Amino acid sequence: MEGRFAEELYAESLQLSKLELTSTSADDQENKANVCDGDDLSLWDESDDKLESSSDLDREWQRRHDQFHTIGYRDGLIAGKEAAAQEGFNFGFKQSVLDGHSWGVVRGVTSAFSHLPHQLKERLIETQKKRNELLGLYESVHSLSTTDCLRLFSEEIKAQEALEQSEHSEVSHHTAGLQEQPSHGSELRNYREQLESLIRDSPAIDIHLPKPK
Amino acid sequence: MDDLFDSSLNLEDTHYKEGYDEGYSHGLVTGKEEARQVGLKVGFEVGEELGFYRGCVDIWTTAIQLDPTCFSPRATKIIGQLEELIQKYPLMDPENVQVQEIMDSLRLKFKMVCSSLHVKLEYNGYPKSSTEANDIQF
Repeated sequence: MEGRFAEELYAESLQLSKLELTSTSADDQENKANVCDGDDLSLWDESDDKLESSSDLDREWQRRHDQFHTIGYRDGLIAGKEAAAQEGFNFGFKQSVLDGHSWGVVRGVTSAFSHLPHQLKERLIETQKKRNELLGLYESVHSLSTTDCLRLFSEEIKAQEALEQSEHSEVSHHTAGLQEQPSHGSELRNYREQLESLIRDSPAIDIHLPKPK
Repeated sequence: MDDLFDSSLNLEDTHYKEGYDEGYSHGLVTGKEEARQVGLKVGFEVGEELGFYRGCVDIWTTAIQLDPTCFSPRATKIIGQLEELIQKYPLMDPENVQVQEIMDSLRLKFKMVCSSLHVKLEYNGYPKSSTEANDIQF
């Protein structure tokens, strides 16, 4: 009994081993056939072609994307600017026109007064002291060109916007800070206040000076 | 073959639209700020010039009220016309089509009244300084 069992077990192993060898041999033969036919090389070449083709396609796609994206961007930028131009202009215009007007009134009042006949000057502003002050104001105002005024106003606007940003920042941090107005940016405002002060004491003169904001 | 071309054109259109949308949104932001800068400059200049005329007329009107015969009838009449033009000017409406016409009339009347009063009052803010003012950035 034992002898038979062992023999049977061995026989199975032997048979499996034989099958494996046969299979391997078959594969070898197939490989040889492929090499002889050149199919393997051809397959490899195809693989290379595919890789090159893929790179070319990527580059072509990127080139077209960049080209048309750039053209579109430029057209869109111009259209966007045109669409925003009137709104932006109106916004800026309304921010500055009343300040410009106030400054212009100061110019106009001081200029017209300085060129009045003497007797009219005396009737409009009765005291010599205040007449002299107004004429002094005229000299100061007259020495500033519109370009000078635009620069002063520009500084005023920038200081104001910086202040607003600062306040916004402080509010968001829940802190309270006292901000002082920069004196250099308020030169135009100072002149206007001087004029208002002088005119206030002369009831005869009624000028259209808009209220400060 | 047609499908290939259609696909290619659609792709190009997609690229273009992406670029356009991006450019448009950037253009809105940068365009508005650039235009605001111009508006600030022009607004100040227009306001200043009109305010100048306003200030002159205020002084002259006060003088006439104190002494109705202090100026010649011609000058007094032109001062009245200046007053009307100033009130007519739509200061807060920069898109109004009448602004240039009214400003031209103001400038003309102002020169006439200065001539009549024999004074050399000049609004020296315009037009030469407008080129200089281009350098100013708000």
